[in-house]
Amino acid sequence: MDDYKFLFKVVLVGNAGVGKTCLVRRFTQGLFPPGQGATIGVDFMIKTVDVDNEKVKLQIWDTAGQERFRSITQSYYRSAHALILVYDISCQPTFDCLPDWLREIEEYASSKVLRVLVGNKIDREDREIPTHVGEEFAERHNMYFLETSAKEAENVEKLFMQIAEDLMKVSRFLCDN
Amino acid sequence: MCHGCCGCCSAFRPRYKRFVDNIFPVYPQDGLVKSNMEKLTFYALSSPEKLDRIGEYMYQRAARDIYRRRYGFVIIAMEAMDQLLLACHAPTLNLFVESFLKMVQKLLESTEPELQILATQSFVKFANIEEDTPSYHRRYDFFVSKFSAMCHSSEGDQIRIAGIKGLQAVIRKTVSDELVENIWEPVHMDKIVPSLLFNMQNARFLNDTTESIPEDQTDPPMLAETCMRELVGRASFGHIRAVLKPVLKHFDLHKLWAPDSNPNSNEFAIHTFRIIMFSIQAQYSYTVVETLMAHLDENVKSSPIIRTSIAGVLSKIIAIAAGENVGPTVLEIINSLLSHLRDSVKHGTSMTEEKQYQEALINALGEFANHLPDYQKIEIMMFIMNKIPFPLVDNHTPADNLLQSILLKSLLTVGTKYQTIHLNATFPVSFLEPLLRMSLAPDPDMRLLVQKILHTLIDRHHNLEKLSKPTVNVTELDLVLEKSSRPDLIFINKHGPIIYDALYTSLQMDTNTPDNVEVVYTTLALLCVELASTETVIDLLQLVLGIQSLALNSTSLSNSQKFNLHALVISLLVLIPSVVSIQPLLDYANQIVDARKQEAPHLLPDLLVHYPANCEVANKVPHLLVDQMAVCENVKSGGLDPSRLAQTSPYGAGGPGVVVGGQRNSWIENARGSIIEMNTNQEVDSASSSPGVQRKLPEEELTFESMKKVLTEPAETRKEAEARRRKQLSDTFRTATFSELVRRTQPKHDVLQNKLNEIFKSLSANERRNPPEIEKKMEKPAYEQNFPELFFY
Repeated sequence: MDDYKFLFKVVLVGNAGVGKTCLVRRFTQGLFPPGQGATIGVDFMIKTVDVDNEKVKLQIWDTAGQERFRSITQSYYRSAHALILVYDISCQPTFDCLPDWLREIEEYASSKVLRVLVGNKIDREDREIPTHVGEEFAERHNMYFLETSAKEAENVEKLFMQIAEDLMKVSRFLCDN
Repeated sequence: MCHGCCGCCSAFRPRYKRFVDNIFPVYPQDGLVKSNMEKLTFYALSSPEKLDRIGEYMYQRAARDIYRRRYGFVIIAMEAMDQLLLACHAPTLNLFVESFLKMVQKLLESTEPELQILATQSFVKFANIEEDTPSYHRRYDFFVSKFSAMCHSSEGDQIRIAGIKGLQAVIRKTVSDELVENIWEPVHMDKIVPSLLFNMQNARFLNDTTESIPEDQTDPPMLAETCMRELVGRASFGHIRAVLKPVLKHFDLHKLWAPDSNPNSNEFAIHTFRIIMFSIQAQYSYTVVETLMAHLDENVKSSPIIRTSIAGVLSKIIAIAAGENVGPTVLEIINSLLSHLRDSVKHGTSMTEEKQYQEALINALGEFANHLPDYQKIEIMMFIMNKIPFPLVDNHTPADNLLQSILLKSLLTVGTKYQTIHLNATFPVSFLEPLLRMSLAPDPDMRLLVQKILHTLIDRHHNLEKLSKPTVNVTELDLVLEKSSRPDLIFINKHGPIIYDALYTSLQMDTNTPDNVEVVYTTLALLCVELASTETVIDLLQLVLGIQSLALNSTSLSNSQKFNLHALVISLLVLIPSVVSIQPLLDYANQIVDARKQEAPHLLPDLLVHYPANCEVANKVPHLLVDQMAVCENVKSGGLDPSRLAQTSPYGAGGPGVVVGGQRNSWIENARGSIIEMNTNQEVDSASSSPGVQRKLPEEELTFESMKKVLTEPAETRKEAEARRRKQLSDTFRTATFSELVRRTQPKHDVLQNKLNEIFKSLSANERRNPPEIEKKMEKPAYEQNFPELFFY
């Protein structure tokens, strides 16, 4: 029986090629697709997890990073409960774009949205963004921070579980009041 | 396993569960158990209160099957739910729909393309059912999100088609029902519209390369297009913008205005906007134009290529909107186009791309005007006229000049689309006057444009081509003639003077090229042809004679220009009697032509810029000139009354001792008056009733009975004594006066007065008049100010 108590919408955003789709695939299907092509428009995945013996359904919307799909991807921000902003720790430009992404989130997403900053690809040797830089940025902008590797399955589960727990807490809190 | 379990305890389970269980076969490939399905349907219909539980149970079973990847049973469950849904009666439907939609969603959430497609099909079936009870709590945002995502699927056309069909179904389901979710919310539109466009555009490019799948009649682009039409067609006024905004955004982001692959092809943009224009409810179509225009505003900083493309799209669709436009929106659109033109000129780089942009805008303007009813075209022309910076303002910049000529070009474009019926409708005073004023602009090219505008507006019988060059062989022209109507004659009687005056004055410009002279010829010839009548012929002849004396006496014109004028004079002199058929005059004109052919071909068309050095100045060959007396004679023998012709010409100096007709003077008064006071256009019949006459041109009144008393003796006596010398003298000075006057005439009162005073002073100096007269003239503007009502009739 798969009835769920909570349904949360999670949207992944970030520059093209930072590994959004791979994170989702790793989490939902437990695999790392080598040679994953660029996402077109929006992709959709679902995963039900157990948090405190409650079923929590995560609707994960994986957006295209390419500029030209911005209009459709933005439209998915609005209903999101959590936004995962992904950058590539081995690629400075993807980090430099974060303020732009935040501006977009500010504009299109709900103000109560849970925001998580994720530095992906920590399996790579050629790191360009030190962990503390990412941490500071996240702190400055009041976001959670996590470094992951979709390839090595590092912190991926943790990322989504944490989001599920946090969102559950928030919605429980709201229910109680 | 499930079946076995159900079998053993089926006796203890509720009946509805047993009915549901029984529709599933042992092996999924056997398909739905039809007889049991009929039983279930019958049961559901006879006890509809159980529908919600049936639905819930089926959903749970299917969810479990999905989880266990037993898709065969899932498909059967969905099929059963479809059948139940269709069998249900409307009032009880609501009970079932909830679990039905949950089921559809469940299938859509799976990663199996097959299930997703199946779910979409079921959803489409559901959407086609008319519900009569609203469902306030039902939400479709998941479906919109999911279907939109499917539209972008890279897993093949089938999923995309399903996505598009799903969106179509959501739209159908929601637009008709006010109480359910508002599909027009930006949240939804921002997903739906780009998804449709993405499919329309995508396969378009594919089609270019491989034309392979003809057997599939519903390919994504076609389907997306249909869906787009439906969406736009259902949009009401308040919702149009919600559709258009994402369209524009999509075009911007995907660089569809000017695709990288082929920057000059905005085909897809045009295609899309045509679809929108044709599907939109006609009364809202101008919103599209407005929105596009606003988008142009936002793109001021974009590259000219993009702006050109947008303007190009505008020009393609504007015509479709024009028919529905009324009132202020028309002017708004025109105004907006004009201000874009102005901006473009201001940023005024002479880049070819910027020029293309301007051209695209003018094109759009023309297209728009083309599809408006005629009365609005006049309005538009007046509107554009008002926007043109007045050329005589001193501090004009090159940009102003460019703007003027661009606006005149747009005016011309609009003008060519206009079909004149009555001249008085075409030329309201408030349009005619600024136009004529513009015809005296310092820039010869501008004058050329203005004359061309006049041509297209005057020409009703398509004689324009034939009359584009002066010629003395009128018979070869094969002109289309029609007797002019009463209103036209009234028009020309009323306004002819200021028109002739402006044309005459423009001929005095020393910057004239042969082209300028030619277009004035064309204007006059067209007027003559359009208004062929014995009433107008005298005025025209008078003007012709005036032009000749201008050519003879002008000091500012070059010899070539004078030759040009002579050629124009003789061409008109041949044309006029052939049109109005005054045989004697025509003979006379031909005589002169023959004589000139022999002795002075340079006084005949064609007009040249440079004439051979040995060309004789016309003054030395008086026998080749048009003689006023001879013209009078011939007119008389042609059966017309030449008395007015014999009188003082308003263009040159009057003949000696001529009694001046009220008509001639009054028009001068009129022309002035109307420029000064825009509302004074009535004819002034006699000099005595019009105090202005004395004020304005006292020298013409010298012989007038009433004036005799007013004016002092010396002028009279001198005139009698040295009539000939005086004629020439006054000739020169009055030509000068004329141009001066017209050039300086401005709507502002005080400016005018100052100028007048100035002119009168210089005048009196020339004429060596006695002081009291000057005093008199100087007083008069004040008089006019004090008693403006005297200008009214």
